[in-house]
This record gives sequence, C-alpha cells and structure tokens, in this order.
Amino acid sequence: MTTTRTPAMAPRPSPPTGVARRRILLALLLVIGAAWSLTGLDITLARVLGAPSDAWVIFRQLWPPDIDKALDRGVVGKVFESVYIAWVGTIIGAVISLPLAFLAATNVAPRWIRIPVRQMFNAIRAVPELIVAVIFIPITGLGPWAGTLAIGLHSVGTLGKWATEAIEGIDTGPVEAVEATGGRWVSGMRWGVLPQIMPIVASFWLFRFEINVRASAVLGMIGAGGVGAELVSQLMFRNFGTVGAVLGITVLVVLTIDTLSAAVRRRIIAGVARTSGPDTDGDRNAEALRDLTGLRR
Amino acid sequence: MQPHGNSASPSLRADQTQFYDTGVLPGAPVSWRLPYVIPGPDYYPARVIRFEDVSVTYRGGVQALRGLDLTIEDGEFVVIVGLSGAGKSTLLRALNGLVPATDGSITVGGVEVVGASAAELRALRAQIGMIFQTFNLVNRTSVLNNVLMGRLGSVPAWRSTIGLWPADDRERAMQALERVGIVEKAYVRAANLSGGQQQRVGIARALVQEPSVMLADEPVASLDPVTSRQVMGDLRRINRDLGITTIVNLHYLDLAREFGSRLIGLRDGELVFDGNIADVDDDTFMEIYGRAIGDDDLVGTGDDPT
Amino acid sequence: MSPGETARPVRPRPRLRTLAITTGLIAFTVFAGNEVGFDASTSWEMWTNPLWGMFWPIPWDWVLDRSNVLDPLVETFQIAILASLIGCGLALPISFAMSRLTTPNRPTYLVCRSVMNVVRAVPDLFWAKLLVTAVGIGAFAGTWALSIFSLAVMVKLFSETVDNADPRPLEAARASGSRHLPAVRTGVLPTVLPEYVAYALYVFELNIRASIVLGLVGAGGIGRVIEAQRQFFRFDRVLGILLLVFVIVLIIEQFSVALRKRLV
Repeated sequence: MTTTRTPAMAPRPSPPTGVARRRILLALLLVIGAAWSLTGLDITLARVLGAPSDAWVIFRQLWPPDIDKALDRGVVGKVFESVYIAWVGTIIGAVISLPLAFLAATNVAPRWIRIPVRQMFNAIRAVPELIVAVIFIPITGLGPWAGTLAIGLHSVGTLGKWATEAIEGIDTGPVEAVEATGGRWVSGMRWGVLPQIMPIVASFWLFRFEINVRASAVLGMIGAGGVGAELVSQLMFRNFGTVGAVLGITVLVVLTIDTLSAAVRRRIIAGVARTSGPDTDGDRNAEALRDLTGLRR
Repeated sequence: MQPHGNSASPSLRADQTQFYDTGVLPGAPVSWRLPYVIPGPDYYPARVIRFEDVSVTYRGGVQALRGLDLTIEDGEFVVIVGLSGAGKSTLLRALNGLVPATDGSITVGGVEVVGASAAELRALRAQIGMIFQTFNLVNRTSVLNNVLMGRLGSVPAWRSTIGLWPADDRERAMQALERVGIVEKAYVRAANLSGGQQQRVGIARALVQEPSVMLADEPVASLDPVTSRQVMGDLRRINRDLGITTIVNLHYLDLAREFGSRLIGLRDGELVFDGNIADVDDDTFMEIYGRAIGDDDLVGTGDDPT
Repeated sequence: MSPGETARPVRPRPRLRTLAITTGLIAFTVFAGNEVGFDASTSWEMWTNPLWGMFWPIPWDWVLDRSNVLDPLVETFQIAILASLIGCGLALPISFAMSRLTTPNRPTYLVCRSVMNVVRAVPDLFWAKLLVTAVGIGAFAGTWALSIFSLAVMVKLFSETVDNADPRPLEAARASGSRHLPAVRTGVLPTVLPEYVAYALYVFELNIRASIVLGLVGAGGIGRVIEAQRQFFRFDRVLGILLLVFVIVLIIEQFSVALRKRLV
C-alpha cells in the first residue's frame, strides 16, 4: 500500500459511565462494611500485629505430636465415634429426606404440598448442626446420640434439597408411562423416578457423609460425642503435643474418608454416564453432582 | 362410572381370573404354575370408542382439538395423520385422560372419560395400553422390570412398590416379551438395547396390561426405516392376532398407506378426513397437510442415500 | 421373528460382591447405631420428655433487649463481614497461584495446594478453638478463624473456576510479550470475575451461619450468649435467640441469593 487512507471520522464513543459508577459504589460499600465491622470488634493495630507471633507460640508446640499420650487417652476410638455419628446421622437424614423430596419436586408433586416441603428443607438447612445439638442436648443428655440426631436433622435439609433437584432433572417419560397404565402416584415414583435418581442420590448421600464427618468432629466440642471433646480438654490443660496428635489423627481420618468416598462417587457417576440412554438427558444429573461436589455445603 | 351401554359385557377384572390359576401357594416359582396364556380375541369385551364434540384447550389458550366427532369400532386398526401440532397426540391423550378434554364426551366401551374421578381413570387406563415416541422406558432398570410396569394399574401398590410382583404377572411379562421376540433380553438393562428393541419393550409393556385398546403415539418417529416397518408390523400383527383396537399416530404417509386400514386426517385440531386407506391418494394427503408432500413426510425404504 | 423362538433367560443371581457389600453396610450401620446409643425403645420417649417445657414460653422482653442479644448479634455479623472480606481478598491471589493455568511456577503451585488441603481438612471450629487459645477469648479470634475458613473454601471453589477458564486470552497476552502478572490480570481475571463475586457472596452466606456458632467455643458473637444461657439452663432464652437469629439469617440470605442470581 502506498497511500494512507483517512478513516471516516466517526465520533469516538465515550466510556460507559454506568460501569464505573457501579464499581465505585461497590468499592465504597466494601470499605464502609469493613470499617464498620472493625470498629465493632475491638481490633487494634497492636493486636493485629501481635497475633501472628501469639499464634506461632501455640502452633509451634503442636509439633512434635504426642502420639503415645493421645493413644493412651483413646483418641482413635473418639475419632471413630465421630465417624459413627456421621454415618448414622447421614442414614437418618437419607431415610427421612428421600420420600419428602418426591413431595418437593416441581415436576412430580402438586403445588400445595411442594411449597411447604421446600420451605421446610430451607428452614432446616438454615440451622447449623451445632445449634440443633444445643437444643437436643438438654433432652437426650450429653453424648453421641444428641450429635447423631443433630447431624441427621440437618442432613434432611441438604439431602432433601439435592434429591429434589435430582428428581427435577429426570426424564418424565416413564412417569407418564406409569400414569398411562393406570398406576398410582406412588408407583410412578417407585418405578418411573426412583431407578433414574438412585445412583445420583446415593452419591449425594456419600458426599453428605464426608461433610458430616467434619461436622461431627466439631460437635464433640459442645459435648455431643466424638473427638471434639478431647481437643477442648487437651487445649484447656495446654497439652499442645496431645492436641497436635488429636488434630493429626482427625485430619488423617477425614482425608482418608474423603478420598475413599470420592473414589466411590466417581465410579457411580461413571456408571450413570454409561447407562444414560441416547435420547434422555440423564447426564444432566451427573453434571449437577459435579457442580455440587465443589461446594462444602 | 357411567353404566355400560351394552350391559351384557362382563367386567374385565372378573373375566381375567379364568385364565390363570390363583390357587397355588403365593410366591411359588412360576414353573409350578399352570401355563398362563395371553387371552385371544374372543376374550376382549366389545369396546367402542366414541368422541362426541370433543374440544381440548390447553392452559394458555391453545386449542388442540375443536369439536371432534369420531367413532372407532372394536378391533379396528386406525392410523391418524396430520402435521405436528394438528392435535394427533392430544387426541390419544384425551382418550385415556392424560390430557383432560375441556368439552364434549369421550366414551370407551360406554365408560365416560371426561370428568371421571382419579380412581375411575386409573381403572380405565389399566385397560388401555400406550406406546410412546420416546419409548419412555426407565433406562437404568431391567427390561423385565420395564415390562412389569405395565401391571402397575392392576397390582396393589404396596406389592409393586416393594417389588413383590405376583408370579402370574412375571409370567405375563415373559409372554409379552416372547410375543415381541426379545425375551432373551429380559434381564438386560433397557439402556443397552437398540432403539427398535426399546420400542418392542414399550409394546410389551402395553401388551402386559392385556388392553382392549392400544394407543401408539408416533411409535416409529425415533427409528430408522427398516426398524420402523418391523415395529409397525408388530403392531399390525398384535391387532390381528388379539383383536386389540389399535390407534396409531403417524407422520410418515407411506407407512400409513402400507399398514393402515382406516385413515383419519387431522388439521388444526379438526377432523378433515375419515375413510378407507384404499381411497386415499396424494391429493387427500395434500388436503390434510395443507401443502405439497415432501421427502420429510416419507420414511422411505432405508436403502436410498437421501 | 415368530414368538417363542428364543429361550427365556435364567434370572441372574445377585452377584456375590453386591451381597457382601450390602451385608457389610447393614452390619456397619447396626454397629454404629449401637455405638452412638441408638435405642429404638427410648428414641421415642425423648419426644415426650417433660424437659421440652423448659423451652417455653419465650421471654421476648429479654430476647429483644439491646444489650442482651442485639449487640452480640451485630458483632456476629461484623465478624462475618470482615472475615469474608479478608478470606475472599486473600483467596484471589492464592487461587491464581494454585491453578494449573495461572500458577507462576511449579513449587508455588505445590506448596499452595498442599497447605490449603491441610487447612481445609481441619474442621472450622477446631481453628476457632486453637485461635481462642492463642490470642484470647473474643471476636478477634473468631474473625481470624472465620477468615481462614473462608479462605479455604473460597480457594477451593475459585481455583477450580480458574482451572477451567479459557486459556486462549492468556496465551494471546503472553504472545504479546506480557509478563506473567499482567497477562493473568488482563487475560484471565475478567473472564472469572463474575464467578468470583458469586462465590464470594456464597462464602458470605456460609460465614453468616458459621459466625453464629463461633461463640460456642469462645470466639465471640451471639454464640457466646447462647453458650452462657445454655449453662444457666435458660433454654427458653436460647430458643428465643435462635428464632430471632434464624429469621435474620434467612432475610440476609434471601438478599444474597437474589444478588447472586443477578450477577451470574
């Protein structure tokens, strides 16, 4: 090219103002939020600067862990008690939530029952296990049964919500087929829906079990059974070596269960992908699970 | 339910007991039992289907059927053609109450469908088999379980829910599978079957109901030409052998010509043709479709490359 | 194909492995149920326990009193807000450092990943209790614990998003001779920012709930009041606080969920 062309003199657009204004607003909101929170929490610069060294003093003493002392005090048994609590709690949650989920799904349940059941799931999910345990402990007394009930009840909320979503992702063809043969609603759920959702729901249960193991470890801190109580008492006596051992054993068991359970879940999902027919969208459920497993709750 | 027009016809339920032995120990293996035989044509009571001024308006105002009048005699093989959206599917679903008719009267063997209670509808549907375009099988369970689902209208809900199917029903399911020629797949997962085999399972599921009426909603739309002809042949054979009144929705005109005896044409929810297939020529189809007939309207032979 | 041509298949027996797994699971459940003190005969009695009467009537005067409940509740939300800001703020660089796509080098990637895995494996209230022991009872320890917890969750969620981001803009930026940080800033950040905000709001919701229980182990907020009243056996007050908290949490969550829906 030998000649330069003068471009047409279109007016240059000015940058949109809305975006910038929204950003400033957001930043302002965050700063105000932070400032307001800081004032209320009695946080001084001296404390902030001093905290890392304070924490380091303690954290340094966690190593080396005093494994012998921990084993003497039966910490392994306590960790397993936490696992039992999580397991039985998950089963309670699973057994209660599954039938309820059928009443909450948009595509199979009538509106009048669906709304209250959904709201119930939401309400249960909003109450942490620890709070449920606080309510149950005066009734059942201190011990693992209170923790189990708390875990079970809280699991109803999440498991119910997930199962509802699984049901909403099914192919409704078989349900229509059952309806067309003169089957009852229950039969439609049992034969048209249940076989479709069962693998995915089972992997939801496993995932919830993983979360519940962590939750039940914490429950012991308020006396609802499991390893938490041991952590609290060892910290109180400032036996930091033993604390280190308790933490180490807990983390080891938690991670082992996570790994095993995740492997089983992967196999289930692989099976789902394999048996989804060519003209159904059963894979949508598998996808939902993959999305979901990124979240802790 | 409304009283039967021809009260000489006995109730279906009472008749069924003649065909298998219920005196053996419950839960006994099938082999102990007397061979159960799928009832022949004489068994089925006369089931005349009558549509009188039937209209269906969906929520949202779409009118799928407008003042339809139609009588289908017992044992007929009827093919319904029309563009998609012409109301073919609605007609079938209005007949077994899956879609409630907003106006008019539909009777099957004198029993009124419009305004029937839930229990009455279930009893009626138990006697009407239905076959779907998308098969509507449960992919993750066995073929046998899928076929047994056809018995859900007759087996008590608690029994079927815990999977305690009566041995007679298992026998019925096996015989239905034998009739469509895939009994060897009984314990295979439905997902592992080809499209044609899946539709056969769908037919077996309808057969196991021992229906007096069989509805097929675009049964071959998801299949290739060769399989389509096999499935249509199965339906035709069952209609002839057992005398089950069969109503088939079809999009493909050549299949309609090959297999139909009576043809019904729907256009915009109205009946525009009702007559013998022998009297039908291309002009009739053009009238029903409101346009010229293209390749899309023919299933073809399956061996030409287009 | 004439009917009856093929033989009927034999009903397959349930596989030994399936049977073994089923039996094992049932046995484990029974054993675990026994261990946690499940007793079919007494588990119904608890619902008719007269102690339920201690939860009623709710002393609303006390509950709605400013210094009793509302001030600690405000403190709770302040902990949640500050912890969300700190946790999510730190999560941004760390997520980029521990995503395969954007990590500056392999050692950084490995260190970040393993540290974060261990941090996440420790349950949240264990962190709170450790920090209470280290820096003293109160909201300061709670804020810190919750910050660590939000950092762990946020990093887990967000680094996966970064992993799945479109690598081509990053490539283009590098091709133009950009250094690592600006390349990430212009090539990846804009595409993942909406999800970052959505996850941050989600973590905020988690924190609101988690901050309520922090006080049960001495880490400040409304949990401290619940713990105290619980030890005085004032379960009526406990229930009152919980109902109030519950309503407020639900309202905050509705806002956050609505905001999340609009952003994504």
